[in-house]
Order: sequence, then structure tokens, then C-alpha cells
Amino acid sequence: MNDLDPMDRRSLLQRALVLAGASVALSACDALTGTGPAASKLAGEQVELLSAIADTIVPTTDTPGAIAAGVPQAFDTLFSEWASPDRRKELVAAMDAIDRLGGVNGFAALPAEKRVALLTRHDAAALTPAPQGRAAPGGMLSVGPPVTDPGYAKLKELIVVLFYLSESALTHDLEWEHDPGSWRPSVPITPGMRAQGSMSLF
Amino acid sequence: MFDAIVIGSGMSGGIVAKELCERGLKTLVLERGRKIDKAEDYTDWMQPWDLPNAGMIPEEERARDYPIQSQCYALGSANKGFWVKDSEHPYSTPRDKPFSWIRGYHLGGRSLMWARQSYRLSPMDFEANAQDGHGADWPIRYEDLAPWYDHVERFIGVSGSHEGLPHLPDGEFLPPFGLNDGELLFKQAVEAKFPGRKVIPGRTANLSKATPEHEALGRATCQVRSFCDRGCSYGAYHSSLSSSLPAAEKTGNLTIVADAIVHSIVHDPKTGRATGVRVIDANTREGRTYEARIVFCNASTIGTAQILLNSRSDAFPNGLANGSDMVGRNLMDHVGGLTVIGVLPGGPDTTTFGRRPNGLYIPRFRNAGEPADFLRGYGYQGGVFRSGGRTAALAMPGIGAELKARASHIGPWTMFIGGFGEMLPNPDNRVTLHATRKDTWGIPIVHIECALGENERKMAKQMIVDGKAMIEAAGGQVVATVDDPGPPGLAIHEMGTARMGKDPKTSVLNAFNQAHEVPNLFVTDGAAMASSACQNPSLTYMALSARAAHHAAEFLKEGKV
Repeated sequence: MNDLDPMDRRSLLQRALVLAGASVALSACDALTGTGPAASKLAGEQVELLSAIADTIVPTTDTPGAIAAGVPQAFDTLFSEWASPDRRKELVAAMDAIDRLGGVNGFAALPAEKRVALLTRHDAAALTPAPQGRAAPGGMLSVGPPVTDPGYAKLKELIVVLFYLSESALTHDLEWEHDPGSWRPSVPITPGMRAQGSMSLF
Repeated sequence: MFDAIVIGSGMSGGIVAKELCERGLKTLVLERGRKIDKAEDYTDWMQPWDLPNAGMIPEEERARDYPIQSQCYALGSANKGFWVKDSEHPYSTPRDKPFSWIRGYHLGGRSLMWARQSYRLSPMDFEANAQDGHGADWPIRYEDLAPWYDHVERFIGVSGSHEGLPHLPDGEFLPPFGLNDGELLFKQAVEAKFPGRKVIPGRTANLSKATPEHEALGRATCQVRSFCDRGCSYGAYHSSLSSSLPAAEKTGNLTIVADAIVHSIVHDPKTGRATGVRVIDANTREGRTYEARIVFCNASTIGTAQILLNSRSDAFPNGLANGSDMVGRNLMDHVGGLTVIGVLPGGPDTTTFGRRPNGLYIPRFRNAGEPADFLRGYGYQGGVFRSGGRTAALAMPGIGAELKARASHIGPWTMFIGGFGEMLPNPDNRVTLHATRKDTWGIPIVHIECALGENERKMAKQMIVDGKAMIEAAGGQVVATVDDPGPPGLAIHEMGTARMGKDPKTSVLNAFNQAHEVPNLFVTDGAAMASSACQNPSLTYMALSARAAHHAAEFLKEGKV
């Protein structure tokens, strides 16, 4: 049952990767044939709005931003496959509130600098501690006081989490090795060294 | 007809199967869940960006199918197949006494998802019941189990450091996963400020260096990935699938039947022996009976109680081997979840490489050198690590380049320590069969009534006080505490429902984990525990399993069972 040598284990991993590719393709087929919850995907203009929000929260700097990392598409998948109806309403409401910051033409139509200025203010207000609100997301280590606008906090959390789980961020923004191979408990910090990526808080 | 039937393939059942098979017994392992296909079910190959829905289970599915299981930190979209759906496996509790029963029904059971921390009980722990009068005195002492701890540690592979502590005995260790510089700073401060307290590397069943014995089973040295709860294709942590069942299989004496839900154990009143086990096929719901000369019940603490209680006959109207009325009683977990989180400003200008599948451990010091206003004590698990990434990105308001810079920056040393406290045995904390409700297979569901007592509540308070003081002793700032222990069950250390003891009137099992009233019936899962100590218990279940299997095989040879 388990009499594999390490080389066999590696080839088993390779096989698993191929299998994974196959299963990803299958789930894509599901969506195309309409068995998935296609009706609950973001509408076209919402994708544009979400892209503008994600690009403002995580822009391209010296490293690629949320758009290049595929965050809008990944968010759309979460929206249809992960979010409950109540969650969808909450996220859409949070996006609509940001859209209104842009006036009649909407947030996505604004120039980048304007978007940054407006969303920075919105972000600070939305994440202001509020005695009656829900706890801010982010998990145990960033548990803070409840915030004014939990819907925005969730929207931002999903964008940020999707970005820092992306191949782009784990290549350019954080250190990441799937198989580190060894534990080194003391490594000097050198200039340019980045924080470790992680799938969990720790 | 088999020589032995082992009910359950998890942490303890796997070791029983190995030991019995290696002693030449034709052994049948019954598993209520499915077989695991490593190529398909292990998802340790996934990169972070491969995780379905960023690792999250869809909200409606989570609420419908996993309301209890999702309270477990380790459940995610990539490994949800390792947990039961609560919707398919109900149990009941009184409204005001929730109990979180975290389970996985598949070959290997929770050995696939366990947190791998492996500590010996100490002489003090085996004497505790006799000392303060709570529970039944253990019928064995540390010295009885010590060689079996050695045996199991060598086989499963436990990394750890030798500390020479009387209340946390050393073992047969592989090299430790060393403390990082933040943890060394914390260690130095705690040990200086609180003489007698120790901060040591966690002892974990991950192969820091595989031995030839491990490699012979296809296991390899840990790659320091920390994907353990998605299954490890390197077999680098101990599970029934990486270690014990493969070892059993090598002997040619093992038969595994999965999808076989045990209904009850058959007892022959003429001989006073168990003759076999009735199962219901999980898929076809057909019943059948397997026969054997000895039966080991390793269905996990609550599952074992359920089977014994459901094995009713004229000879045992209250359940098999239950003349003492102790089957199902004395359910314990650990007082867990009490956590202190802090930041250590300053600290050494270093970081770490690799995702160590482990952390630090602070052995018990209350009622072990330092006084307390409660009985028994607690240890802490925890870790010190550099913050950064998404946690730093979300830690405060801000967007754009500033957010990205904050996430990429190697942040300050951040730490948490969480207490695990001993829960006293209390006969009113118990598992019974529901009077009317049955599961899909016609078996009465369990009713769990369990609550923390006054001693546990006092302990929980002190854990937070001590935790804060230790972080502050290292110059740390406490940023958050979790001071509600939450419902019992969440430490996932349930035990005690068929306790060992000296007196058949007050206990179910004798010093060899043999039912006082049914000599060829053995129980070596958590149910056997007469007290909970505060150490993570799986290693003790395995040592008891190996020891009992050895004696059972000897008894068979001698014609005693």
C-alpha cells in the first residue's frame, strides 16, 4: 500500500499534478454547460468595477498588481462558487458604495490618482472601529475592534487574500517555495529579502 | 474466522493492527469510512493558487454540511473529504451544553489530520487520580508504559529535544526542529524570570530525519512544507496510512474491510467471550458478522462508547462490559483554545527558512513546582514567527503601494501561546445512546452531555494570566487574548469513556486494556484513559495499544483468552 521509494513519490506527485489539471478542466466544463451557478456571476460592468477596485487596492508598483495576478477572475469564481446569497448582496452593496464615489460615470471611469484618493478615504472610514459593528476580517492576528463597514472589510479581505495566494504575488512580493526541504531557524535578514508567503496565518 | 478484529483504523487501531500482525495473528481491520486513494485524495501537491476557493468551503455548504467540523482550524476546501459531513452524521447534546465532535470517517481516521504533537505522560500523571481522589486510580504506572513509548516513538518517528524534565519524560527522539531566534529570546526571558519553567521545541511526529526503518516503509524526511493536514505524499508524518497499516500489510496477515459500520460486538454468554462483530455495509446497508478470537475496539472515544452501549444482551443489558455503568462516562477533553497573542518589538535581526510543522512547547508548571488554586495543570503550545504577507496587509487600514510594501516587509516577531489544560474525570460528563433517534444505518445516535467544571474554569483564567506574564517577560506587548475556552471537544482530545482501573466495579478495563468482564475484548483508544493529563494524548493511546496488543497475543498463546 505504501511501499514507494522517494523517486516513486516524486512521480506520484507529477501524476497528481496531471490529475489536477484534468479536474480543473472538468470544472470549467461544468460552468460552460450551465450546471454551475452562472446566474450568480458578476455582471460585465460589475467585473469592470471590481477590477478597478482591486487595481486600486493592489496596484502595479515595482511588482505586478491585482489585475496581472488574476484577482478579478478569481474573485468572480469566489462570488459564484463560494459566496452565499447574503454574502453576494453584501459584496455588491460594498462595491456599489465605492461606485457612487465616482459620481454619474462611476468609480471605474475615474483616473487612477482620483481613485486612490477617494478609496483611501473610504477605506479609512469603513475600517474605523465601531462598537456595534462586526469584527474586522483577517484572522486571529489582526483581530481588532469591530469596524464601521464590515461589507467593505470583507470585500477588501477577499481581494487581498486572493492576491497574496496568487502565483504572481508569491513570485514577486513574498518568498515562497512549495518544498523548502529543510528548516533553518536562524537566517540573517539581508536587504531586499521579503516576507514569507503562507496559506495560513502562520 | 480471524485471530483478531480491530474496530477502527485510526491512530490506535493502526498500531494494534501492526503489532498483532507482526506477532503472526490474522487480523481484520474494520473501517466505517472509505478507503483513501493517496493519488486522488492527498492534495499536498497544490500550490496556494490551486486551492479551491482560496481554501474556503462555500458558505452555504459549510453552514449545511460542516457547522461543527468547520470549528476545527484544519478544515479547508482542499481537505474537506477528510471530515464527516455533520448533516450525514448527527449526534445530540443538551441545548445549553454544546460539545464539538470533530471526526473523519475514512481509512486512517484522524491520524491523517492530527496536529502530530507527541508527549509522554509522566509518573505524576499516572498518580494524579490516586493523589487527589478524582476518577479511578490508573492500574498502571509510568514505568509500565515507558518501554512502549520507546517502541512507538521509534516506529512513528518523533522529533524532539532531550530536556531531563521529570514531569515531561524524554523519549527516543529524532533531531528537534530547533527554536528560531524569536523563540530563543522568549525562552531565555521566561526561564530567567520564572525559574523552573521551560520553553522547548515541540515534540512532533514528523520525520526530521527518516531512519532506515522509516524508509523501508516508503517514508521520507519531512520537507518542511506544513501541508500535513492535506495528506503527505512523502509519508513524512505518522499516520495509519504512512506507517502502521503499511507495516501491518507487509506481514501478509492484514485484511482491511472499509465501508463497514460496526453495529455491535457479539457476546456468547456461555463462554463469556466476544465472538465477533456485527457490521452494516455503509453503501448497501446489508448486515454481516465477522468472527475472531479476540476483539480490539478502537473506534475513537465516543465511537467506542457507542458500540459498547449498543452491544446489549441479556448478559449485558446496559451494554457490553458495562457492569460498572462506567461505559460512556467520564468523557474528557482538554481545556483548550485559551490563547495569548503578542508582538516582540526589537528582537534579533533574523528570520527563518522553511515552514516548520511544529512550534514551541511550555511544559506544565502549575502544581508542578508552582502552586495553583485548582487541581492539576496545563502546558502551552505556540510559536514565534515573523509577521508579513496578507496578515500584515490587512492588519490596518490603507491601500495601494503602502499596503503592498507593508505585506512584503519582514515584520516584527509575533507570537502566540495557547494553553491545554487537564480536565478532571466526572461521571456526569457522558455519552449515552439517544432514546429514539437513529442514523441512516439504523444505529442509535449518541447523545453527548459534557461541560467544563469549576476546576477547569479556574484553570482557564490562570492560563491567560500566566500566558500574558510570559510574553511580557520577554518584552512583548500582548495584542489579543482568547479567554473563552469554547465548547468542549474542540481540543479534539476526547477520552475516558471506558476507563482503565483496578476495580471492576468502578472501571471498564484492567491494566492490559482488557475488559474486566469480557477477557477477549480490549479497548486501547482514548476511551481507556483514566485521566487526561494535559499532554496531547495520541502518543499515549499508541503506547497503550502496542502494549495491550503484545499482552493480548501472549494471552492467546497461553490460552488465557
